[in-house]
Amino acid sequence: MSRHTTTATGRPFTRAGAPSVSPQKTTRRRSFSTRRGLVIAAFMAPAAVFVAVFTYYPMLAGSQMAFRNWNLNNLTNTDWVGLGNFQKIFADPNFYVILGNSVVWVVASIIPQFIIGFALALWLRRKFVFRGLYQALIFFPWAISGFLIGILFRWMFNGEFGVINDLLSKAGLIDAPIPWLAEPGTAMTAVIIANTWYGVTFFAIMILAALQSVPDDVYEAAALDGSGKIRTLFSITIPYISTTLALTVLLRVIWIFNFPDIIWAMTGGGPANQTHIITTWMIAITQRGDYGQASALGLIVVAILLVFSAFYLMAIREKKGARS
Amino acid sequence: MTKRKLLAGLGLGLVTALALSGCSAPAGDGKVTLQLVESLTSPARTELLTKLIGEFEAQNPDINVDLISPPTDQADQKIQQMLQSGSGVDVLEVRDLTVGPFSANGWLSDMTGEFDGWDGWDSLTPNAQSVATAGGKMYFVPYGFYGISLFYRTDMVKDAGFDGAPVSWDDIVEQATAIQDPAANQYGYAFRGGKNGYTNAVLAISAYVAGDIDVTNAYRLKNGDSIFSAPEALDAMDTYLTLFKQASPPSSVAWGYPEMVEGFTNGSTGFLLQDPEVIAAVSESKAITAEQWNTAPMLVGPSGKAIQPLATAGWGTAEASEHKAESARLIQFLNSGDASIEFTQKNSLVPILTGAADDPFYKTGAWASYLYMNENPDVYITAEQPRGVAWFTEWADKADTELQQVLIGQMTSKELLASWDSYWAEKWAAE
Repeated sequence: MSRHTTTATGRPFTRAGAPSVSPQKTTRRRSFSTRRGLVIAAFMAPAAVFVAVFTYYPMLAGSQMAFRNWNLNNLTNTDWVGLGNFQKIFADPNFYVILGNSVVWVVASIIPQFIIGFALALWLRRKFVFRGLYQALIFFPWAISGFLIGILFRWMFNGEFGVINDLLSKAGLIDAPIPWLAEPGTAMTAVIIANTWYGVTFFAIMILAALQSVPDDVYEAAALDGSGKIRTLFSITIPYISTTLALTVLLRVIWIFNFPDIIWAMTGGGPANQTHIITTWMIAITQRGDYGQASALGLIVVAILLVFSAFYLMAIREKKGARS
Repeated sequence: MTKRKLLAGLGLGLVTALALSGCSAPAGDGKVTLQLVESLTSPARTELLTKLIGEFEAQNPDINVDLISPPTDQADQKIQQMLQSGSGVDVLEVRDLTVGPFSANGWLSDMTGEFDGWDGWDSLTPNAQSVATAGGKMYFVPYGFYGISLFYRTDMVKDAGFDGAPVSWDDIVEQATAIQDPAANQYGYAFRGGKNGYTNAVLAISAYVAGDIDVTNAYRLKNGDSIFSAPEALDAMDTYLTLFKQASPPSSVAWGYPEMVEGFTNGSTGFLLQDPEVIAAVSESKAITAEQWNTAPMLVGPSGKAIQPLATAGWGTAEASEHKAESARLIQFLNSGDASIEFTQKNSLVPILTGAADDPFYKTGAWASYLYMNENPDVYITAEQPRGVAWFTEWADKADTELQQVLIGQMTSKELLASWDSYWAEKWAAE
């Protein structure tokens, strides 16, 4: 096989400097490349068509619903309504309560998920007996459906028959049962606890994978220099895996914002909309048949997350730039 | 070489296309295949339907029936998608909640022609006939009715010093309050504050204005105003809220169907307002024995009357079906004779056939209260629920949220009734 290089004019040369192919040969090569390109395109076509038909077409079709009067209960009039669906959403006072709930839901879920997940990852990195078994047990929740987890926690948090009140009562921490899912504050706390339990696993998996990339000799060098555990954590471990941490947090924010399963199964957004986040509200609107308004809400979610991601990535880049 | 590849590709495509088209080809033996889609799916019910379909196929050798059973939670949405695509469904389960939107979208066939001269028509009860021909079109024929009765703990009532089950809403407040003992994990009433919680609040309001209700629309008074505008509605809500505050589990703000039924079947609550389908669940309870519970007629208001909000579902034919005559034959089979009796009894439904209620099955135990209500139609008035209107799911969503707002103190019952009244007044004005 000959190794080619190119001149500034783009003509290919061999190492010896002589033109490797004649112009005729170049044309033949080009035609061969075109045919090869076509073959590649033909092989890619089924996948491209599949993605276009099953991903992009529904996405675009769904987006155009946001600008129509698209109500399943009456499809005889699906006229364009412009920004009417968006106006309805912004005029609804519930929207602002639910937007606030969404922020609380994301922030209050992600902080404990991150801290506990990080701690678990650090713990699992050490070698100890049955480490594999512990890892499997910790990663197990990630394999369970969010709705199923919601249903389980709904019963666990049941005020009268739930195991949580029973345990708290037996531990002497409460005198009377707490109606967890019946009051706005406790209901939000309950769904966040369930989400924390579920999401810790994701952070543990991602951070553990990142920790494997930190070379042991760096830790050994740090130990020789007399670095303590805390200093090692902040000066070596975290800087080494900071990119993974930042992207994991970004991914998780997007997922939690878009994660209605647990709330829907536990409270359905109640009591009185107090645990609704935007995506559970979207389900509720879809269930009453108003696909137009639900699609408009979907586009609002996309816009919010795009803006957040852009600012977040910019902030990370600036921080890295400042450090370097 | 390229040509050969091209031909091979075309050949493969052709074979695939033929194989796929073979999947939906009509049977070569001249049989018609009907697609039947159920909505309120459960394993036992699907098994029963399969058995009845087998009997129908044996009697009609020219028809095959394929039963499609989507999970209940998603069933109506699946049915909507199938109807919208215009294929894959001939006979479908139509509920009073879905008949409005489905027919408004032109997805349901008016079966009046196919049912003209059907010899089973006269066997249907007047209620069933009236529902089947509502609005002058036959979009579905009901297979049964879901009524409401009061499930109560005979032992708790006796221990609290009462002679029998409560008759009125005031009685239940008194008895449930006497039974309530949170320290012993014992509660008076299995309150419904979660999904569809508004239904029981409307039940109380209806009982308070029962004498003035327009029976063709249970949300409207005879004078044309909504039931929520009546002064008695406020009394009803006050009583209902007292029942919640004094005699219900605090967490029942969030209770939906599963929690209510669990609250009664695990022995911790004294009263439950529910459909007869709960009879089977209570009978299977290991926490309470058959001697510890019974059912009583619905609770009456100050006028001594109550409104029986009969909910219903049935079978209809898709407008896009190419086998409407055969579909009608299947529906007629399911809604007559032994098939109908077996279906209603095994699903704990109020029957659609005249005389079926005379069966000893409906005269004993928990069913006796339904018979009593049927025999006293002047006291337990049957009124048609406006569940067929296109906005009913929107209403249910609004009503549930606002009722919860009242329960957690974010709204007064007066504000609630004003909101519900203006909602219906606006909808009716726009009709």
